Amino acid sequence: MNKKLKQFLNSFLLIELLKGLAVTGRHMFSRKVTIQYPEEKTPQSPRFRGLHALRSYPNGEERCIACKLCEAVCPAAAITIEAGVRESDGSRRTTKYEIDLFKCIFCGFCEESCPVDSIVETRVFDYHFEEQGAQIMTKEKLLEIGLLHEEQLAKDIESDAKYR
Amino acid sequence: MGKVNIEIDGKKLVADVGSMIIEVADDADIYIPRFCYHKKLSVAANCRMCMVDVSNLPKAVPACATPVADGMVIQTQTPKAVDAQKSVMEFLLINHPLDCPVCDQGGECELQDLSVGYGEDVSRYVEGKRVVKDKDLGPLISTDMTRCIHCTRCVRFGQEIVGIREMGATGRGEHVEIGTYIESTMDSEVSANIIDLCPVGALTAKPSRYKARAWELRESPSIAAHDCLGSNVNVHHRRGEIIRVVPRENEAINEVWLSDRDRFSYQALTDGKRLLQPKIKKNGQWESCDWQTALNFAMTEMKRIIGASNGDNFGAIIGNNSTTEESYLAQKILRGLGCNNIDFRTRRRDFSADDKGNVRSGLNFPLQDLEHMDATLLVAGDLRHEQPLATLRVRKSTGFGKAMAINPFDGEYNFRLSHEIQPEPHLLANEFACVLSAVAAKKDDAISAEIKEWLSGVEHNKVHSEMADELIAGEQTCILLGVYAQEHPQAETINWLGEQVAKLTDSKWGYMTQGCNAAGNKLAGAVPNQSEVGGRATLGKNAKQMLNEGLKGYLIHNCEPDVESLWSEQALENFNNAECVIALTSYDDGRMLDYANVMLPIAGNFETSGTFINIEGIWQSFAAAVAAPGDVRPAWKILRVLGNLFELNGFDYESSIQIRDELREKYEVSGDKKVSRKMPEVLCSSEKFEAPRESLGLYRVDPMVRRAEALQKTPKASTHPISISRVKT
Repeated sequence: MNKKLKQFLNSFLLIELLKGLAVTGRHMFSRKVTIQYPEEKTPQSPRFRGLHALRSYPNGEERCIACKLCEAVCPAAAITIEAGVRESDGSRRTTKYEIDLFKCIFCGFCEESCPVDSIVETRVFDYHFEEQGAQIMTKEKLLEIGLLHEEQLAKDIESDAKYR
Repeated sequence: MGKVNIEIDGKKLVADVGSMIIEVADDADIYIPRFCYHKKLSVAANCRMCMVDVSNLPKAVPACATPVADGMVIQTQTPKAVDAQKSVMEFLLINHPLDCPVCDQGGECELQDLSVGYGEDVSRYVEGKRVVKDKDLGPLISTDMTRCIHCTRCVRFGQEIVGIREMGATGRGEHVEIGTYIESTMDSEVSANIIDLCPVGALTAKPSRYKARAWELRESPSIAAHDCLGSNVNVHHRRGEIIRVVPRENEAINEVWLSDRDRFSYQALTDGKRLLQPKIKKNGQWESCDWQTALNFAMTEMKRIIGASNGDNFGAIIGNNSTTEESYLAQKILRGLGCNNIDFRTRRRDFSADDKGNVRSGLNFPLQDLEHMDATLLVAGDLRHEQPLATLRVRKSTGFGKAMAINPFDGEYNFRLSHEIQPEPHLLANEFACVLSAVAAKKDDAISAEIKEWLSGVEHNKVHSEMADELIAGEQTCILLGVYAQEHPQAETINWLGEQVAKLTDSKWGYMTQGCNAAGNKLAGAVPNQSEVGGRATLGKNAKQMLNEGLKGYLIHNCEPDVESLWSEQALENFNNAECVIALTSYDDGRMLDYANVMLPIAGNFETSGTFINIEGIWQSFAAAVAAPGDVRPAWKILRVLGNLFELNGFDYESSIQIRDELREKYEVSGDKKVSRKMPEVLCSSEKFEAPRESLGLYRVDPMVRRAEALQKTPKASTHPISISRVKT
């Protein structure tokens, strides 16, 4: 009997509704966490592992020496490298360097294994492909991305150097 | 030999007196690190990496240079030993560059491996490292001399194994450099073995430079196809592409070595202009087509020509390097169609013993015995350029025994000859007969009246007599006939003489053959006088007749008779005039494009399975290491399908193993048919005939070698046929 009366009063006086509205009201005035992507972006760590890039030296020479450690360490077998002697100076260079982004799991092992800081992962994480096969990043594409983000990449590697 | 009891790491071992600690440890599977020690080379003890702790000795001692003694207790892991090794490693790493990521040896480097165990993670050395200028050793070996740790294995290899001191150390202390003294390339035909010997990345293979890392490679065992020894190799390949070929240890054949020819010939397959699709020539233009069309075309033409002439006007020339299975199927097809014109001996002039059903061809003793000979008589043998690894064995025997030669040309020996005769080419058999005469004079009672009569006109001199003495006196002696002996117009006489001298002096004898599978081809029946395993056959035309007479149709399998036969000009003319030339080839170039009417792409060596029978009669089967590219098919499959198209019986093989087993079964039933050679005609020294030494040259022996780019760039490729043809006139 008592239980029924309590139930009736609760419904009649809209107490549950008011309780809910109170939560809404509280959140209305609290600090907002929603990010207005793409106008706004979350802060990123210098160790962020996004889209790959191949870096070059300031004089334009590619860093990669075709040691193939990244290919060997890649757990997803996403990297394919072919190497050879460069005609012009006889140095060891890649003739093909491809990363299949569909295979890549963004573990960052390639970056860690690289003895010359050539293959790196940039802070870029939003990209799309429109054609079949475009997910395969060729050497040219990777070098281009490297040039585009060189300033940021150099800074990130610098900041992380003391922990390596 | 006496035995001593020693103990290594608590393991009780029995060792031969005089053996070194490292040998005993290796046999017992106890690993002692080393750089300069190699079981095939002398002890240098200059790397000091193999330090071990021997009880009762105050300091650690090098295991490679310390002979075992009774009761020795050796520890390889005590602080004394390990400290010594760590110190050695620190010194070695002082001047070694930190360029492992760009080094071809990275991943299979002895220094890299050992530095993990014995190196410090941080170097104490802050001074400048030394840099050494790289030497240009030719198109086969690339150098990074800064990486050299001066183990001197390459120096000792040249000095001890090859007998040509090409590499050496100059300078002292920090200024020591390994090089060729004066700028020169490595010219020896086994030079690339120093690539395998080098424990670091100072000497690496130039053709495969930077192409692959050690961990990417897959390894498939195979058999090399360019000389009659049948060297065992491992083919290293990556994603279906052959990257390099390295020796596979086989003490009975190639020990741990490999000739440059066998090592780098793979380049023809990877970089050569390959025929990737069957092609038919229509109105003078080559047109690609499918297999069905090409095989039907070949079948119709063969049927037409063979049918019209009762098999007289069609002939098959089989390459020296064809597998036994291919030869067997080729002769099975031809004989099934009633044609007996099949031969592989395009470099033979004397076919007078073709009615003898001898199956075996080559050596009548184990190859390994060559190194134990007290006396070796070489007749017309240019071993260095024809069977490079056999020379290494003969050279070993000259350490205690004698080597003698009857050669009509300057053989460029890498060992000392005690006696040498350089007859004019047409007097080769006469000179050899003089040796028999000298032997006969000493063994008068053992000789038959017939031979006495045969020898009646032959006079021997002091040199012949001394040669005979050596052969009689030696406990183990042999007579080795070279490839030229088989090319000589009196080849059968020379063979008979070899047999007779061997019999009288209690020596062993044998002859070397051109190509890698002469024994197999003969056994498979790819000769006009006998079918497989010496079976009866109607006598067909031999290679000389086929190439000179001009037939209407030819089947050319894996060879270019217009280049490599003794009758190349006639062959070219006759091929051009023939109605139909069916070529089974791996390559889409050369004069074959002019004279062939249909080209069927066959898989090259390392791309097909098969069997080679070496000079000693060892059957060595191998599987394909890599798949053939494009529409290329193994030749045995092509021949099988061709057999089916002709509706011949017994062509339902599913693998090359079935073909081999079929042949093997027949061989086991018939066995080695040894028919004694009949006495040849009496020699006439006054008759002068042409017997030119038309050497193919070290790097021109077969289609594959001729297309191996790196080999063709070597000095030997251009100078060798010239230097070898220095025939005495």
